[in-house]
Amino acid sequence: MEQSFLDYYSLEPVTRWIHDTLCGVMPEGWAVFLEGLVLGVVILLAYAVLAVVLIYMERRVCGAFQCRIGPNRVGGKGGLLQVPADVLKILTKEIIRLKNSDHLLYELAPYLVILASVISFSCLPWHKGAGVLDMEVGILFVLAASSIGILGILLAGWSSNSKYTIIGAVRSGAMLVSYELSLGITVLTVVILSGTMSISGIVESQADGWNIFKGHIITLVAFVIYLISGNAEANRGPFDLAEAEQELTAGYHTEYSGMHFGFFYLAEYLNLFITSGIAATLFLGGWMPLHVAGLDGFNAVMDYIPGIVWFLGKTFFVVFLLMWIRWTYPRLRIDQVLNLEWKYLMPLSLLLMLIMVVLKVYGLVF
Amino acid sequence: MTTEEKIKQWCPQAETETAGETVVHVPADRLEDVCRRLHDDAEEPMDYLRDLVGVDQGEGCLSTYYQLESSRTGSRVMLRADAVEREGRATLPSVSGLWKTAEIKEREAYDFLGILFTGNPDMRRLFLREDWNGYPLRKDYDMDSNPLDMGNEENADVTEEFRLMPDGTLERRENVVFNPDDFVVNIGPQHPSTHGALRLRTSLDGETVKKIDPVLGYIHRGIEKLSESLTYPQTLAFTDRLDYLSAHQNRHALCMCIERAAGIEISERAQYIRTIMDELQRVASHLLFYSCLVMDMGALTPFFYGFREREMILDIFEETTGGRLIQNYNMIGGVQADIHPDFVRKVNAFTKHMREIIHEYHEIFTDSVIARTRLKGVGKLSREEAISLGATGGTGRATGWSNDVRKRHPYALYDKVDFKEIIYTHGDSWDRYMVRMDEILESCHIIDQLIDNIPAGEFRVKVKPVLKLPEGVFTASVESSRGEFGVFLMSRGDKSPWRLHFRSTGLPLVHTMDTVCRNGKIADLIAIGGTLDFVIPDIDR
Amino acid sequence: MNSFTKYVKRYWRSTKSLVGGLRISIKVFFRKKVTEQYPENRHTTLYVPERHRAMLEMPHDAENRHHCIACGLCQMACPNGTIRVVSEMREDAEGKKKRVLVRYEYDLGACMFCQLCVNACPHGAIRFTNEFENAVFEREKLHLVLNHEGSTLAPPAAKKENPVNA
Repeated sequence: MEQSFLDYYSLEPVTRWIHDTLCGVMPEGWAVFLEGLVLGVVILLAYAVLAVVLIYMERRVCGAFQCRIGPNRVGGKGGLLQVPADVLKILTKEIIRLKNSDHLLYELAPYLVILASVISFSCLPWHKGAGVLDMEVGILFVLAASSIGILGILLAGWSSNSKYTIIGAVRSGAMLVSYELSLGITVLTVVILSGTMSISGIVESQADGWNIFKGHIITLVAFVIYLISGNAEANRGPFDLAEAEQELTAGYHTEYSGMHFGFFYLAEYLNLFITSGIAATLFLGGWMPLHVAGLDGFNAVMDYIPGIVWFLGKTFFVVFLLMWIRWTYPRLRIDQVLNLEWKYLMPLSLLLMLIMVVLKVYGLVF
Repeated sequence: MTTEEKIKQWCPQAETETAGETVVHVPADRLEDVCRRLHDDAEEPMDYLRDLVGVDQGEGCLSTYYQLESSRTGSRVMLRADAVEREGRATLPSVSGLWKTAEIKEREAYDFLGILFTGNPDMRRLFLREDWNGYPLRKDYDMDSNPLDMGNEENADVTEEFRLMPDGTLERRENVVFNPDDFVVNIGPQHPSTHGALRLRTSLDGETVKKIDPVLGYIHRGIEKLSESLTYPQTLAFTDRLDYLSAHQNRHALCMCIERAAGIEISERAQYIRTIMDELQRVASHLLFYSCLVMDMGALTPFFYGFREREMILDIFEETTGGRLIQNYNMIGGVQADIHPDFVRKVNAFTKHMREIIHEYHEIFTDSVIARTRLKGVGKLSREEAISLGATGGTGRATGWSNDVRKRHPYALYDKVDFKEIIYTHGDSWDRYMVRMDEILESCHIIDQLIDNIPAGEFRVKVKPVLKLPEGVFTASVESSRGEFGVFLMSRGDKSPWRLHFRSTGLPLVHTMDTVCRNGKIADLIAIGGTLDFVIPDIDR
Repeated sequence: MNSFTKYVKRYWRSTKSLVGGLRISIKVFFRKKVTEQYPENRHTTLYVPERHRAMLEMPHDAENRHHCIACGLCQMACPNGTIRVVSEMREDAEGKKKRVLVRYEYDLGACMFCQLCVNACPHGAIRFTNEFENAVFEREKLHLVLNHEGSTLAPPAAKKENPVNA
């Protein structure tokens, strides 16, 4: 009963049918190319729409934390058209070419950043059978792809030929390289628990319970560490040293204008979504509904809710958590950021991984 | 033996002038010696140079007034020295070796009056452009000599120093500020956390600050020069525009100074109102200090908490005074209008609310481990340095220097109310922060004692419409929100001042930046700037 | 071992302090917001205290009469040269020469709202009003003439004493 509903919602038969039909009228290579094209457009659209949603959400949530209302004028009472209006505005802005900057790298940098975030975005498990990029080492691929973004930030800072941007870029380099570690280790902890590196495999393995409940307190702590280092990876407060408005005016993207700046801005919000999405996948069961052992009726009702709703719901929950953190704390100083990682988070996550291995070997996990 | 008698003993040529306040006139060649003896005096070391004011006495006589105070006993003395002409320039020996604050104050006197201080390592202009013609506070200054220059200003990387040789000639030397291979970053004049148009030329080694050279004057309005052509009531309007977060206290100081000079006695009701307003202003300013500090450190949410409560004070101000930031409330002889009927109720409600809500400020920011590690042990200033630099207010009190004018030289009702002077001893950013946070509650305590007991009476005594002050030098000082604010008024019996000088609370604090920020990180520099709490319009008068 | 327990203790204390911050911020998240919805609240909740100084005004009564005798004290009191009183000598019905106000010019753009002019006025002819929405696109529009077209001086019986000078 339970499985059938999950199967009912599965998109796999649909995609298979589309692929077969296309193969019937054209060679398979063409069919794959066409599918890729359509999917690419869909992903980019989803990317843009989500960015708008996230920016709107950030502004409303941040407003509420700060005893104020937030955007509420443009487009009716809720201010829903505020962000689209801002997007239109930023599209009309001039893209300034700087004298004495390295033009090629200066203009390449925002595209590298956005490319990295689009690739990692494509790996998210939206729904059963709807993972776009799904491979055996999927989670490693996400980690690798998201690191390209750092390159973009470094290039942006260096090629702008400004003292503020170079400080911002160097800061972000030092920070991201460090936090990649504890991020990787916590991901590995989950991989050990699930026994697979494939993203769909990790989700499937949580059919009988989300990882956050399965691994005793270990995965709960790993979840918190993941959130902290994911926050740092996404360059968001309290780890926004690379931008550090109060210190470096805008850090690595000080000299960018118009849509080039817009790309950095977009990528920042989508990286927030990707971090949350991966957290939801690894710890909160991705698109898996909430099941409580022994409550069959409840479980069945949960199964009626489609996977994409579950996935988005969990992801936005994590996004809210990250916003809550961002709008509470002061920024750390560069030496504190590194201290936190190397003295506190890294040892702890290593310890967690070790315990997880022991638990797994002796079969002590649920 | 009084200080004047001591000076007479050391230097028999010294004369005492008693028009207005007592001034000891010391010949220029004996100045250095007298200052050194006063500074090193065993019982009463005059270790705090409150202010150094240059005055053009007319007929080519330029002089400097030194206001000294002993941090041990609180006794004050004022010296005057007339500049001596050497090689066509008016010169005086520098006292920057004794009081560090003189370094920057002598630059100000040089900038505006052209008095060359021999021995001061930095004789650049302070506020005006380096290519400025003439000295604007001289009485013979031609107002048309500097047409608006929209060109770029080149900042020299070296300073001039003039040394007095034994044969009476001047020797010019150059001191290097920045080497060509220093990584110098301009923090300001347009920067999110310099709290106004201040420029700090900062040389960095990676993230570490090596040296800071403040460049001032971007919003200088020439208030002191303007005042010389205005009547006394008209000069009042400027004080609110100096340190706009201490508008009441600044105006209180000038009113007090003029009232003292004219011999006006104000009513007790006015004294109560002034004191309450001063304290409300202090709370408002400290709330803004909290807001700005947390924002400088990247926490934007607590920023709004501070503004939320400050808004209540501004509403109270607006009801009574008619202004929120620029209140124009104190007048010569009292205050502009009687308190609003809702004033007492609203102030009571505010102090109650403030006490109840301040724990939120502490829980979200003060207790946070991030804030603690970023502020503790950072930007240390010792007590001796603070006194020598003249860093008054919360900055000085955080080093253990008890410099509260309200305690040491009580004015208005401060000798009648019971309050603690908040003193911390480490002198780091954390202590500077905590001094202000504790003062919020202390000010509420002062307000509570006064608010329900405001006596009946007139709020303003009658004053002649055209006010002429007797000849002489008059001073007054108050504890403004960020240190000792002083007024130096020199009258020649006219209806406008001959010279009006304000002791800026922020100038010594900006001067302190170089001392406290060295070897800190860039992020520390911003946090230290936040905790020193300077307001630029007060520096650029 | 001692340093290790210290390490763990510090770990714990720091975490606790951070959670405390989160608790406060979420409490405020659900609290009533303090934003004032200007300009929507213009006619509802907006409160501008009576003493607020926004613009100088010369009150006229129903018969288009003001109290200004063109003495020029306000002009002299103004530190910024904001006010210019243009007057002329006219003969009244009894043949006495009298100073009469022609134009009362006021430059809102240069005014710093110090209230010295209002304090100086012996007849309460000018006052500050609450109309604070004074933004305009051209500087010339800030040059105002305060006396109305064809206005005359009110008879002395209707004169008000200036409350400040009283």
